[in-house]
Amino acid sequence: MNQEKKFSDEFINAFVDDQLTLEEKQQVYAQLSSDETLKWRICELRKTRDLVALAYKEPPMPTRGLAPSLGKRKYSLGVAAGLALMVGTVSGWFLHQTPAPTTLSSARLAAGDETAKVLIHVSDGHVDHLKNALDEVESLMQYYRDSKQTARVEVVTNGQGLSLLLANVTPFAERVQSMQKKYPGLSFVACQNTIERFQQETGVAVKLLPGVIVIDSGVAQIMRRQHQGWAYIQV
Amino acid sequence: MNKLMSLLLITLVSLGINLGLASAEGYTKQKVVYHVNFDDEKQLKAALGNIQNHINAVGKDNLDLRVVMHGPGIALLQIANKNADFADKISNLKRQGIHFNVCNNTLQSKKINFKNDLYDVSQEDIVPSGVAEIAQLQTQGFSYVKP
Repeated sequence: MNQEKKFSDEFINAFVDDQLTLEEKQQVYAQLSSDETLKWRICELRKTRDLVALAYKEPPMPTRGLAPSLGKRKYSLGVAAGLALMVGTVSGWFLHQTPAPTTLSSARLAAGDETAKVLIHVSDGHVDHLKNALDEVESLMQYYRDSKQTARVEVVTNGQGLSLLLANVTPFAERVQSMQKKYPGLSFVACQNTIERFQQETGVAVKLLPGVIVIDSGVAQIMRRQHQGWAYIQV
Repeated sequence: MNKLMSLLLITLVSLGINLGLASAEGYTKQKVVYHVNFDDEKQLKAALGNIQNHINAVGKDNLDLRVVMHGPGIALLQIANKNADFADKISNLKRQGIHFNVCNNTLQSKKINFKNDLYDVSQEDIVPSGVAEIAQLQTQGFSYVKP
């Protein structure tokens, strides 16, 4: 428990932001293997950092993009009022303050290529629900195969949904494995945050099914993928 | 000097009006897909209520809204086939331009005859795969809502 105090929040923050020297990083890595609390702190910070980064990369919402349209409207009404110059200057200043929505087109480009990209989110752990989710994924993969469309489908589990991929818990081990073999574009993903919480709560080491990919945070993955132009479906 | 002051005043007033207009108008055109894959009657009724509220907030002319049903979600139209309240709500939404799409995989696997078992479905309301349809709509700029 003494080890816990060894790193300050600033230090851990710097680690997450990759601002430490190699030597300092090695100190963190050395302790990571034995210190669950440290792992958890880093994981939480990473999640926050990712969410913040994504939030600021998001283009202004086209549906309620008040800032850009505000500027334009000010301009046109200004003309009508015979105050074009002054209002124009004001609106120009406002427009100057609004960053251009550059990321929207890149997200759409990613979606526009031939490959269908779909993230399926599973957060409910009831057996009926998991069975239904697998049925849906299977019929989706079959649909893409029949229509000769290449597809990447990621089944992201977090919360109770993780039980789908726990080796000693899931009733669907064989089915998941046969689906992985049958559809190369399909992957099953588990959330590191959930795994750690599960281990802390139960005291049992988590064993995942073979071939399951572990990512830092399910929520962050959902946001990343949508940002990259993936479709999102909660089953 | 007076002239300059009044000019400034008018500008400020017009700015104020503009700010007011912009926030009153609020929404521009929206494309939204509602995902229905649950069969709980209360939840389904709430979903129909959500959609009506969505129309009220945005205005029907500003909205391209598709309801995609698959798996257990097909229950929405099975219930509406027997329940006049559900049927009225759905017809009312359709009159406001809402589309209700049904997954063909589900019709096949559950052996459902869409003409007899479902409320007011025609051939063009049927999509090959509900999930693929939702994915496709999102690549076309539709936002995803799970009510």
